[in-house]
Parts: sequence; C-alpha cells; structure tokens
Amino acid sequence: MKVKRAINQVAAVAKTDFLGVLRNKTAIFFTLLFPLFFIVIIGFTFGQSGTTETSSIVVGVVNLDGELIAVNATNSINGTIGDLLVEALESANFTIYGYDDYGDRDTNGTAAYAISRGDIDAIMVIPANFTETLSFQYTDNLGAQVATQSHLQLHVDPTDTTGALITQQSILGFTSAFVKQYQQVAIQQVPADMQSYIQVLADPITVLVSDAEVTEEELQWIDYMVPGTLGLVLLWSGLNHASMTIATERTKGTFQRMIIAPVSPTIVLLGKFISNLTLVYMSGFVMLVSGVLLFQVNLYWNIPVIILAMFLGSLSAIGIGLIISSVTKNEEAANSIAVIISVPLQFFIGAFFPLTMMPEAAQVFGEALPFTKLVNIMKDVMTRNLPFDAVIPELLYLTVSGIILFSLGTIAYRIALKRL
Amino acid sequence: MNDIEINSVTKRFEDTLAVNDISMNVAKGELFGLLGPNGAGKSTLTKMISGILNPTSGTIKVGNYDIQKDSMKVKELLGVVPQDIVLYDYLNAKENLSFYGRLYGLSGKKLKERINELLKFTQLDKKAVKRHVSTYSGGMKRRVNIAAALLHEPQVILLDEPTAGLDPQNKHALWEIIQSLKSQGKTIVLTTHMMEEAEELCSKIAIMDQGKIIALGSPSELVKKIKLENTITLVPDKTSARLIEEIKSISGVKNAYTAQDENEKTETIKVITDNPDDILSDVVASTVNNGTKVLSVQLSRVTLEDVFITLTGRSLRE
Repeated sequence: MKVKRAINQVAAVAKTDFLGVLRNKTAIFFTLLFPLFFIVIIGFTFGQSGTTETSSIVVGVVNLDGELIAVNATNSINGTIGDLLVEALESANFTIYGYDDYGDRDTNGTAAYAISRGDIDAIMVIPANFTETLSFQYTDNLGAQVATQSHLQLHVDPTDTTGALITQQSILGFTSAFVKQYQQVAIQQVPADMQSYIQVLADPITVLVSDAEVTEEELQWIDYMVPGTLGLVLLWSGLNHASMTIATERTKGTFQRMIIAPVSPTIVLLGKFISNLTLVYMSGFVMLVSGVLLFQVNLYWNIPVIILAMFLGSLSAIGIGLIISSVTKNEEAANSIAVIISVPLQFFIGAFFPLTMMPEAAQVFGEALPFTKLVNIMKDVMTRNLPFDAVIPELLYLTVSGIILFSLGTIAYRIALKRL
Repeated sequence: MNDIEINSVTKRFEDTLAVNDISMNVAKGELFGLLGPNGAGKSTLTKMISGILNPTSGTIKVGNYDIQKDSMKVKELLGVVPQDIVLYDYLNAKENLSFYGRLYGLSGKKLKERINELLKFTQLDKKAVKRHVSTYSGGMKRRVNIAAALLHEPQVILLDEPTAGLDPQNKHALWEIIQSLKSQGKTIVLTTHMMEEAEELCSKIAIMDQGKIIALGSPSELVKKIKLENTITLVPDKTSARLIEEIKSISGVKNAYTAQDENEKTETIKVITDNPDDILSDVVASTVNNGTKVLSVQLSRVTLEDVFITLTGRSLRE
C-alpha cells in the first residue's frame, strides 16, 4: 500500500513538472524546437559533406605573365601559360578578379587594397617569366636549355584564420595539379633514360590520401555531428531544466505546499528526476529523428547503449542543475547561473569541434567533463558501430561522475529544504 | 479535548525573535483566530504548526502528535491554506486538485469524487474549472487554493489570510465557506489582520504583537478586558428625566444619561450597553412613545481594533 502510494506521488510530481514544460512556450522551444532548429542549421551547413565550394573563394589575380621581359638577351612578351592558369582557375569555379598591380592597401584599384577591405580572399601573383620558364626558353651561350624556376606568389587574408586556411589549401591543391602537368612536360624534355631519375628527383615522396575503413558505409560530416549533439541535449534540457525546476517552485511557493503534504523529499526529487529524464530523452529523440528524416544521417542504432549513456549523463546534468537550483534564491538567479555554466561548456565537450584543436589545459578540462564522455560514447556506437565492451571505460566514468554530482545535488537540495 | 497544543514555543531567525515563548491550545471544533499586525509572528507560528519551520524551542502537538516526532501523521491531519495563491497556473483547477490529492494518497474514483465535491462546495463554475488557473479571478483562485487543502478531509485547517486582497462580495463568499467548515466540526486556525473578519468568524482569538500573545479569549471577553463600552447615541428634539429613567429600565441597558454634543451644541442621550444591536429598537420605541422625536441615532461599538489599540497603543494596520 505504501509503495503504491509512493508511486502515485512520484507520478503526480513528474506529471505536473512535465506539463509545466509542455504548456510553457519558452520551455518547449528550448527543449524540443531548439534542438530541431539546431539540427536543421548544422544539417544545411555540414550536410553535404566536407567539400568546400570554390565559387565562394574570390581570388584576385595579378597576371604579370606576358609583360615585356628579357630572355636570352632578347625581348619576350609571351603570356600563354599564365592566361591558361587563370582560365583553369575560372573553370575550376574559383571567382577571379583581375588586377594590374599588387599595389598597397592605400591605393584604390590594386589587389592589396581589395584584400585589405575584404573584397577578395586571396591574391595570386603570376610572375612575368611564367610562360618563358615553363616552356624552357632560357638557354646558355651554347643554346642548351637552362633549368629555371618560376615563383607564383599566394597571399591570403590573415584576419580570417579558418577562411585563410581553406582558401590557401584550395588554391594550392589546384595549382599543384596545374604545375604537375607542366612538370611532366619538363621531364619529357630530358633523354628517355634519365626521365625516371628526374621523376624521382621531382617527386621523391608521393602521398596517397584516402579515408580509413572506420565505418562500413561512407559518412558525411553531419553523420559525425548528430551523435555529438546529444551531449548538448544534456546541457540544454537536463542541466537547464533541473536548475529551474526547484527554484521556480520555491519562488511560487508550490514547493512549500508539497513539503506540507505527507510526501518525503526523496519522492519529490524522484518525480523531478523522472520528468527531467523524460525531457532529455524527448529532446534527444527529436534531435535524432529530425537528423534522420531531414538529412538522412547514416548512423548505427545501439539503442540500449544510447539509452543507458543518456541516463548516466542525465545524472550528472541533473545533479549540477539541482546544485544550482538549491543554492540560488529565485528562478531568475538559477536561470542566469545555468546559462553562465552551460553555454561555455558546450564548446568543451567535443560536440562542435574536436578537443584536439584546443589548448592543452582546455583539453584536460574538456576530457574531465562527463558530457564529453557521453559525446565520445555516442560517436563510438553511432558512427563507428563499436560494441558495448568498447565503451565500458567511458560508461564507468559517466556512472561515477553521475553518482558524485547527483549525490552533491541531493545534499544541496536537502540543505535548501531547511531554508524554506 | 484540544486539537492543537502549543507549549512555550519560540522561533528565532538569527537576531530576530519572531515568536517569543507562546503557549496556547485550540479546542476540537473551534474556529480560532490569530489576530495581529503584519510582522506580529502569526505566519511564523502557522508555519511551525504546519511543519514548514521547526521551533527553536518548545513543543507543538496536533491531534496529540508531536509535529517534529510524528510529522507525517500531523501532515495527514492538517490542511494548510497558504496566504499566497499556491497553485500551478499552467494547470486547470481539476488538474491542480488532482495533483494535491495524489500527494495525500488519493487516487482513482475516490479522488475524482472528492474533487467534484470540493468544486461544488467552493462554488466553482464547472466550465471555468477547465481553464488554466492563470485565467481565473482572484476570488476563484482563492477558492481553489482552499479546496486544495481540503482534499484529504483534514480535521485541522490552517487558513493564513484567506481573504487578503478580495472584494467584499468574494470575501463574504469565502466567510460562508469557512463557517460551513466549522459547522462540519473542523478545527480551524484563521490568521488575519482584519479585525472584522476575526470578529465575524472566530469563537476564540489570540491577539499577537511582536511575537507574543498579548490577549486571548472570545471576542466578547476581549472587549470586556478594556474599559471602553458600546454606546447608543440618540439626538432627540427634547430630553427629560422621565425619558432617561424609562430608557434605563429597558433590559440590557447598563446606564443612560444626557450629554452635550460639543460640535453640534445639541443635547444627546448616551445609552451604555453590551448588546447595542439587540436593544436599539427598544430604546428608539421608548423614546418615541415618550412623545420625543428622534432626530438621529449613532452606534459606537467597541471593536477588537479598540482592544488592540488599548493594549499596544498602535493600530492593527500600522
């Protein structure tokens, strides 16, 4: 009889708490719609794989090839290969703006002026002897060809480090292929028995790049992103909601009324936990289903491990939320502290970008977070299709951290009861 | 038999002594009023009775159970109506009552029947109760607030300022509900700072000030404790010794005399009595029968406000 009564009480607390979210437009937005918006945004951003659309890269070309220069003591104005390079860039879909002069940032109409104002992403300077060099026009006094290097200059906008890196890699990738073609022409100029030797000198090491067989199916970027977003769900739905739930009830006085009733504080806590857990699962479900339906994400569905990991992660999130809720005086203060904690944490759990990109101290901090472990587990089981035993160490970490944080949250909650 | 026994209870908040060595009993079936200005210690005392706060010293028993040792049994006996509207505004009245009912162990058919009984008892409109509480008027919210405390049919009900902020119509409707609860044999502790509410409803009143009980008794006993008396003031067209004697002879009249009205410069007749309402018609009839016209009548009743002012030198609303 006592058990039945306790279950009824837990269900009542959980249902009322849950309805509080379902009937609150702001809470619904952050619990269900925000994850949906988020998945839509990252889907459209990363859903088409990791290739960069070259048309968005604007290259300012200063083509000096074809200018009058002296070659073997005679004047030359040949610009054929420089023009071919520009045409090839255009046909590779780069957006090309032509400039007569590199110039400087204060002289309007020059390439340096344009890049300083963000009108172009990079400047390529094709030297005046580009054609003459690549077509082996330089000879010595005896008429033998003289090997001469040509220097293409590439300048990128340093104010956008990521953009500069992408631009640089895209143009270098293109030009290396272009130059390779002329390298072969040059090699063919030497006697046949020397060509292999020269080939090795030209390319002593060749790098073959391909994706390792981590997964059975080819994955797009979004396939890796979606499992990581479940870590964000814990922060948005778990931590934020838990931090508000008791603070709000205390502000409104409903918590006092619950305590006046013959209900143990543990039952109230259990009801709140179930409500929070349900929200986390709902939010995660929305995130995953929208990923599947809208962007056809390609994942492996080890449902028991996903549910277990989310449960263990929720212990930590709700534990932190309870601490916030218990130490703050009202819902506004609880909300502010929850935002201050959860927003920066989003960047340390490896959901948006790998922790290896961060400074060492940040990596250590990120690796210590239970939410990072959850993200790792989700990526392991959902993208790498690893079995349960492969994620046991991280599940244990989640369990221990969950028990510690939830226990601390419970202690804070009990102390808060005495302050009513 | 007492339903509430309070012995030497003190509550201290750091440097503030909110309740200072209070002892009192509330008999079974009694409607007991805790009257006093804001900050007198009434709410602290009711919070201690309801188990929200623990006394710094002293003991409180409800239904013979100690509130600290047998807190769960006390909670079963108590129905607490807080001063503020403590309802979930995103739920409708039925959902709110269902939630609180389940906390008290009610479920299924019994819970539904009890909710319907209380909606009827508190005169809540059937259509309105399906709307979210946030859309209700202040009076409706107060009634749901009371109903939520009655679901488990408690023997002892604590009402903390139940009519605060209500218009006279809603206030009287709630008074009827409270009187109806009393007629059901419930023991009620009513906390209020409105003396007319205490006078109207309570059979026994404790007047609190600065954490102490400064007077305890029925409203009439409290009034008798001070030297002020209820007075009927008549303004006749003429007076005579015979008329005064006739008024004195009326049952319930303690004294009668003529006096000069200082403002109007007219002669008045002052009639001293314990029950001015009961004898007013007899006094007026006797005067008219004596051939005297009554130009005006004024009743000056001694109130609990007078008692409070006499005992503390301050008004209840200060």
